[in-house]
Amino acid sequence: MIELKHVRCGIGEQQFHYDLQLPEGEIVAVMGASGAGKSTLLNLLAGFVKPDSQVHGEGEIYLGGERVDTLEPSQRPMTSLFQEHNLFAHMSVYQNLALGIRSNLKLTTQEQRQVEQALEQVGLANMAGRLPKQLSGGQRQRVALGRALVRRKPLLLLDEPFSALDPALRHDMTMLLKTLCQQHQLSALVVTHEPRDALALAQQVVFIAQGRVHWQGTSEDFLQQTDAGIKAYLGENC
Amino acid sequence: MFKLRSWHAFSGISFLLVLLPLLTAVGAFLSYTEQAQWSLYMQESYTWRVVWFSWWQATLSTVISLVLALLVARSLARRTHFIGRWLMLRCFSVALVVPSIIAVYGIILLHGKQGYMNQLWHWLGGQPRSYVYGLVGILLAHVFFNLPLAARILLQRLEAIAPETWRLSSQLGMSSTDLWRHIEWPHLKGVLPQLAAMIFALCFTSFAIVMTLGGGPKATTIEVAIFQAIRFDFDMAKAVYLSLLQILFCGFILWCGLRLGRPIDMFASQGVGHSQLSLRPDTQSLMGKLHDTAVLLLATLLVLVPLVAVVIAGINDAWLQVLIDVRLWRAFVNSLWVALSSALLSLLMAWGLVLAQRYWRRHHPFAAEAVEWTGSIILVVPPLVLATGLFIGLRPHVDVFAINLYVVVLVNSLMGLPYMLRVLSVAYIKVSSDYDRLCSSLAIYGWQRLHQVEWPILRRPIGLAMALVAAMSAGDLGVVALFGSPDIQTLPLLMYQRLGSYQADAAGVTAVLLLGLSLTLFLVLERVLGGPRD
Repeated sequence: MIELKHVRCGIGEQQFHYDLQLPEGEIVAVMGASGAGKSTLLNLLAGFVKPDSQVHGEGEIYLGGERVDTLEPSQRPMTSLFQEHNLFAHMSVYQNLALGIRSNLKLTTQEQRQVEQALEQVGLANMAGRLPKQLSGGQRQRVALGRALVRRKPLLLLDEPFSALDPALRHDMTMLLKTLCQQHQLSALVVTHEPRDALALAQQVVFIAQGRVHWQGTSEDFLQQTDAGIKAYLGENC
Repeated sequence: MFKLRSWHAFSGISFLLVLLPLLTAVGAFLSYTEQAQWSLYMQESYTWRVVWFSWWQATLSTVISLVLALLVARSLARRTHFIGRWLMLRCFSVALVVPSIIAVYGIILLHGKQGYMNQLWHWLGGQPRSYVYGLVGILLAHVFFNLPLAARILLQRLEAIAPETWRLSSQLGMSSTDLWRHIEWPHLKGVLPQLAAMIFALCFTSFAIVMTLGGGPKATTIEVAIFQAIRFDFDMAKAVYLSLLQILFCGFILWCGLRLGRPIDMFASQGVGHSQLSLRPDTQSLMGKLHDTAVLLLATLLVLVPLVAVVIAGINDAWLQVLIDVRLWRAFVNSLWVALSSALLSLLMAWGLVLAQRYWRRHHPFAAEAVEWTGSIILVVPPLVLATGLFIGLRPHVDVFAINLYVVVLVNSLMGLPYMLRVLSVAYIKVSSDYDRLCSSLAIYGWQRLHQVEWPILRRPIGLAMALVAAMSAGDLGVVALFGSPDIQTLPLLMYQRLGSYQADAAGVTAVLLLGLSLTLFLVLERVLGGPRD
């Protein structure tokens, strides 16, 4: 179970307040209008944003029964993946993955094997020596996924990971993500704007509006919703 | 047809204004080549000592400024909530327009024999030492100017690093060393060669600082040697020889700089330091805090304290006596006139050249390129060398001491020209690509176009450029010293004389007035011409 107990934070003028329970081992789509607070939810989970001062029993975050909001970002059992800037431009694909295991890049033979395996799983086995600039946008996100695999953290936080890609490529990547999550029994929170991606990828949808969880349910239900806020977000075509 | 001719004339005058002084100077140099006893100069150990010192002090200044700037930029990037941050960045941004003589004065107040440092040292039980005149003083002054410049450019680079990168680094648990190796250094190293080239060129041609703090047999650069040859030895041939040597070296330095990449804009870092949120994972450790405190204190000591010392020294009883002195106000008016004229002339020259460049860009890209080179001549023939050429070339024909302010204006506007030209040509290209089609479809031409479309876009960069040229010209102490006569004073010259004649109180008041003039010119012109900020 992934649980946020009345986690509050204010950024500028805007107030965010999340009270949320999500099953583990599933992919959850996080949807909502721009600025509604989707990224803030992920940033709070990852520890990039600190919650406001807490009252006892409130503002706590749990993952699989363990309290995580007291941990530093690097100690939390999760891996983030952004729309871009996931890679270090001057490092090879291999080094970018190796960074996920040890930041001085000195790997044991066994760890080197892990990196090679991860590269195979994301379909980049023959590109280990390339630099990010020699890769396409989709390949770069594959590298980032590869690093998420070698980090072996149970929860993935993906903030519009494939929004910058073409529709066909986005579909491929979505499928790859789904396969990897199933193979490695990972949970994932995916911020996306595409209802189709959400349907293809996620069993659950969390809809955020004005800094709060507005609606939560299965992805099939989500598309059938008669809720005015959701209908306004999805538009007439869906 | 009339329109075409009017800009032709405008551009033509600009070209003449840029090229005539240069041709006069070169002609003057060439007329002396037969008299000059080259082989004699070549053999003189003095010449080689001067050449060696020029390169040595510029190398040291560059290395020290850059290393300190890297440390300062990193500490500023880490300490987004440090209280003095705003003040420090503000001081850094105006340090560039502080007149050299004021920086020198501040450094003497701090490091001179009766300076604060020696007082502190004495209080601690040591004997006062004299270290400010010579290499140490020159380095302190060069660091005063170049540390802020470099630190701002580097800080801008650090602030351009994507927030995702910092988040990623905190998730990967990177240490401060890792951050430096994997994030900061890769982001900074690209700009270092050009930055080094720029600082080196500035230090290699910094005349006023070396004249005031150096000048002895051990600490003289080529430009100061030229000055001494003219003013003290009346040896024109030697001045010509040294000038040609300086042109050769400056050409070489420029060539090296261009091979390292496109020159960076030394004023591009306006508005740096606004990011409020530090996402870095390495801001909490005690060692990091101690390190940053030490670095920022050092930067304060090197840059802020000299300025504060100048202001403190200006608060004394000599106010009235100085302010009722007519000479001071004549000098003040002259400086103000020099500043405004230089800024305006520089703008007009640049505008004329840019119009020609715009016309040629379509058909003769090579000619458009040549325009840029024409405007950058001052980088190869530095101000003091150009002034030397003019001095020698004009002396037989006119009373050079009577026209000194005009020469000061001309040389200062040429100094601002490379920057002015780049600012204008970049802005013009943008206006052109954004609005050419729209303007022709709406039939907006000529004056209407200038007034309605171009000015609102151009005024910001023009305002900043003119503010800088004006402030720098107000503080100029190169050309004016060479052409200086007792009758025609400027504030920096007056300040220089008072500094030399031990009128401490009068010097203090003059310094505050000069500093005030430069800063006011800079801030007012930037605001007034640049227009309201968004």
